[in-house]
Amino acid sequence: MMLLIYVLIGLAALAFIIMSRSYKLMNFFSLLHSGSYMVLGLYILSFKQLPIYYTSKNYFFMDNFGLYQATIASLIFFLASLYLDGYIWSLIRLKELNPKNIKLFYAAMNLLLIATILAFFSNNLAVFWIALESTTLFAAVLIVILNAKENIEAALNYLFVASPAMLFSFIGLILLYSATQASLKGTLDWNVLIESTKNTAASSLSSLPGPSSAYLLSPKLLSAAFIFIFIGFASKSGIVPFHAWLPSAYAKAPSPVSVVLSAVVSSISIYGIIRVFSLLVHSPAVNSISWFLIVFGVITIAVASFNMVRKTNVKRIIAFSSIEHMGIILVGIGIATRASIYWTIFYMLVHSLIKALLFFSAGVINSQYGSNDINSIKDLIKLQPLASLGLIIGSIAIIGMPPFALFLPKLMIFIEASKFSLGLFFIIIMLVLVAICAFGMFMTQLFSSVSESNAQEKIERYIMPVEMKLPIIILVVLILVLGLVIPQEIQQVLNNIVGELGL
Amino acid sequence: MMLTAILSGLSETPEFSSFSSSISSLPSALSSSLSYPLEQVEKVLPADIQISVDIIKIFLVLIILTAAFITVRRDLISMINIYSIQSFLIVIVSLAIYYSEKHPTLIYIALITLVSKVIAVPFIIKRVSKDLKIKRDVEFHYLTPTSTIFVSILILFFMYGAFSDLGLEPVHPLSRIFTLAATLSISLVFMGMIIIFTRKQTITDVIGYLTMENGVVLFSLFVAELPMVIEVMILLDLVMLILLLVLLGFGIDSSIEEFHAKLDPFRKLLGKEGEEQE
Repeated sequence: MMLLIYVLIGLAALAFIIMSRSYKLMNFFSLLHSGSYMVLGLYILSFKQLPIYYTSKNYFFMDNFGLYQATIASLIFFLASLYLDGYIWSLIRLKELNPKNIKLFYAAMNLLLIATILAFFSNNLAVFWIALESTTLFAAVLIVILNAKENIEAALNYLFVASPAMLFSFIGLILLYSATQASLKGTLDWNVLIESTKNTAASSLSSLPGPSSAYLLSPKLLSAAFIFIFIGFASKSGIVPFHAWLPSAYAKAPSPVSVVLSAVVSSISIYGIIRVFSLLVHSPAVNSISWFLIVFGVITIAVASFNMVRKTNVKRIIAFSSIEHMGIILVGIGIATRASIYWTIFYMLVHSLIKALLFFSAGVINSQYGSNDINSIKDLIKLQPLASLGLIIGSIAIIGMPPFALFLPKLMIFIEASKFSLGLFFIIIMLVLVAICAFGMFMTQLFSSVSESNAQEKIERYIMPVEMKLPIIILVVLILVLGLVIPQEIQQVLNNIVGELGL
Repeated sequence: MMLTAILSGLSETPEFSSFSSSISSLPSALSSSLSYPLEQVEKVLPADIQISVDIIKIFLVLIILTAAFITVRRDLISMINIYSIQSFLIVIVSLAIYYSEKHPTLIYIALITLVSKVIAVPFIIKRVSKDLKIKRDVEFHYLTPTSTIFVSILILFFMYGAFSDLGLEPVHPLSRIFTLAATLSISLVFMGMIIIFTRKQTITDVIGYLTMENGVVLFSLFVAELPMVIEVMILLDLVMLILLLVLLGFGIDSSIEEFHAKLDPFRKLLGKEGEEQE
């Protein structure tokens, strides 16, 4: 029922957008679309008994984890649409966007939201795969929408990394299916799979440690399936060997799209990794897979951190920081204790908010200077005080300083890492310090470049419309508030999620 | 018949002739090395199913052979033709599996594959490549054609080792060749990936992607109870392909001047409309 409402709202919004003539109207409908999703998500989270299953074969369901992520996603989309209202005009003014493409842009944006929501609500992992693959499609359309050869290149790069990798995921799903054929008659329904692993965990606790045949699913096959599935999902969130597409895609896409890509699309695949990993937590394969994830996470952090040094493009450095944080999240998952998963899931929320703030502020820079390169940026604080504030607070928050929201989850993940292995803790701390230095150096450079007082040409000030100011202000407040108090409701939801994942 | 035509076409270029003979000896080498442990568990089967199993084995090897051809070809048209043949072989395999399994999904997959991959996609790619004026993709990255074949063989052996180690349990009669099928189809996926890595032109990368996708479809045929999902996957990948080709048509492979020429009318239009809206 609720799912039907979601889908109907989405289709209605899409129909209205296709019919409407001015971009103001299209923007209004996108706002309505994402806003209603947000309200619906909050309503179901607080008043309904979860999980709820849909369709006769349980292809879809709503549980705390899915709703939590879906609500965050709709919040980000809401802010992005709000911002887009002002930003799209500056894109047209800079001749980066053809006015003919505005409708396609909004349609793709809303389709991406629908695909995202369906991904978060899929119970069947194959359905999840389909939704994830369609987000690739719509995201590629959103990247390619600007009139530049670099955008086509970035989108092609994205497609040629993400879709082949997603094919590996599909192989993994088939392997998972054949792993369940003997005991569960072949299923990809997540709820059935997690129940069976929970039951095995319970039975192996109650009885004496038995032979490995007590586990319903063969650990070897399960880990092979996980590794294949991981390849595709990792490529979608830019984990290192598959990250080549990410910096150029984030840097070339229009800022609201970068926000959606880094804050939502990369979360979907991390969500998928957590879901599949939770199936392994009680199997004997968990140790090797834990190390597998941690090694990938550490490599990701390392490559991203060293790449952040001496970057000159604002959006590119934020993109690399995104990769770095995906690495930290992966380490958090790999540690696989109750606390680490709890804080990782909270980390994903905060990371989305801060990345959105940073990319929104970077978008203002693009509108002001027509470029994101540090050499063309001068007098930033004088010309764009609010964007500067957003960038400064965003960068302080993203490196994990108190009193902002990322401090606590980052600290807790590091503490869990130190419990897991002290060596791991030191390596991560060193790498994260490199990233922090690179980020700090870049920001000091950015804000210290001032034009000489007798400069001949004065840069005309870009006047930010209110629609672009609002998201930045909202995000700054949210990040600060979440840093000071984590509301009881969020803690409750996080606890429920960890319970659902069987930890 | 077409295969022999391709073979003769291959031997025209002198540098290929040295290993075209080694390729043609590949299938027999594979079938002998890969199928012998499976025969140990072989039980007496009804004759018709036995025949379909044999047919499937033969066609699996032929499919790998087509992939080997695609990885080394430079002529775009023949690459597309071989791809079309490869898809047709998949249609035959899925019909052969249907003969013993009687699972309706297999018929749908065969139909979709026949319509889209044997007929439509090759046709569209040929059109696009004609528009782009690309006939040959001469350059290879990282690997030469000979080493490509060599790496493919290594992948085959590695996959065989990995999959016979996994211990896939036999559930239905066809599971006896499940390990063989998994080995060959996932090797097909990896060979497609090699095509993407080693080729410079985007349109050849598209063919590599399609080969990978064929590998996944081939693998999923052997777990045919996956409901409805495989068809959706094929359709989604086709949409993805259309997007890729549209992007290509807009000129990633054409020169930057041509691209600007294409863009120029847009710019003018943009300037005009921009003024109007102000």
